[in-house]
Amino acid sequence: MTLSAFIIPVLLICLLLYSWRKKVNAYGAFIDGAKGAFDLCLDIFPFLVAIFVAVELFNASGLTDSLSTLLKPVFEFVGIPAELSKLILLRPFSGSASLALVEEIFADYGPDSYIARCASVIMGSSETIFYVATIYFSQTKVKKLLYAIPVALVCTIIGAIVSCLICRII
Amino acid sequence: MRRIWYVIMLASLIALCIINPENSINAMMDAGEKAVMLSIKLIGVYAIWLGILGIVDQTKLSDKISSLLSPIIDFLFGKNLDQQTKNYISMNLSTNILGMGNACTPLGIKAMNGLDKLNNHSTTASTAMIMLMVINATSIQLLPTTIIGLRASYGSTTSSDIIIPSIIATTLTTVLGVLLVKLCSKIKFKKKVRKV
Repeated sequence: MTLSAFIIPVLLICLLLYSWRKKVNAYGAFIDGAKGAFDLCLDIFPFLVAIFVAVELFNASGLTDSLSTLLKPVFEFVGIPAELSKLILLRPFSGSASLALVEEIFADYGPDSYIARCASVIMGSSETIFYVATIYFSQTKVKKLLYAIPVALVCTIIGAIVSCLICRII
Repeated sequence: MRRIWYVIMLASLIALCIINPENSINAMMDAGEKAVMLSIKLIGVYAIWLGILGIVDQTKLSDKISSLLSPIIDFLFGKNLDQQTKNYISMNLSTNILGMGNACTPLGIKAMNGLDKLNNHSTTASTAMIMLMVINATSIQLLPTTIIGLRASYGSTTSSDIIIPSIIATTLTTVLGVLLVKLCSKIKFKKKVRKV
């Protein structure tokens, strides 16, 4: 934890020293790069709204709860504790919502419990697939993602199964 | 994506009509507000990372990183990439590994735009584009710092003992993702050949 805090500042110091050695105007380069941020956010904004509306409605409708209850036996069958079914369901859609769920799990079961460790490993080894899928393609003309989302979902689920398995062994 | 969004929206709205119709408009407005807040936050975050990226680009450091990662990129994305796209992909991969989640998104978008150009702005994603998306969607970060911090704040005595399991799980999912993309692209290719 303490070590990882050094990664970014140390890398930046190296970068600044390197730019000085290469006689590059670091200030100008920074400004040039940062210019693109506003347009980028304007481009991804509609995609963000679309995902957020879907996630919010999905949660508000209670479908998350009923679907996760429905899927519990399936998850238990493959070795994922039933308590984590909601997390696995939400994880591909929303980083903040799944992080809030993990916090709940930590509070309920204690951060060192088997469930909490599984949840941590699942969080650490997965991503918000639908967010990546929409945002990354936001400035392209691509409409058809072919097999991209199924592949990513299969990987996430297998990853979750393996995470729980590893946590049981270690 | 279109279908998934449609199904989720429709199912949620129907369910809301049955249990709690007043809540639907609130939920939607909440979502809009959250999206605005996040975008505003992201303008700042992306500006900083894109600024730093600007320095990396102009010092030609990005060329060095990409030539270092060149064998991996050639294997994953094919050899016909231009230098700029290659740079973006290699930086996207390295920020991913370092767990700089907010830095890899703008890089990934730029890399994707480069791949889009190579794909002649087609409406169907190329294998390289799918590869980039799947690698990013399976997460290859080595240090899940957020989670470790969260565990510590909840009084965990061994907050970093999830690092090794996470690395194993994340490596496995990424390798699996890469293999599946390679496999699926071959199957699709065969189908096309048969049609011809």
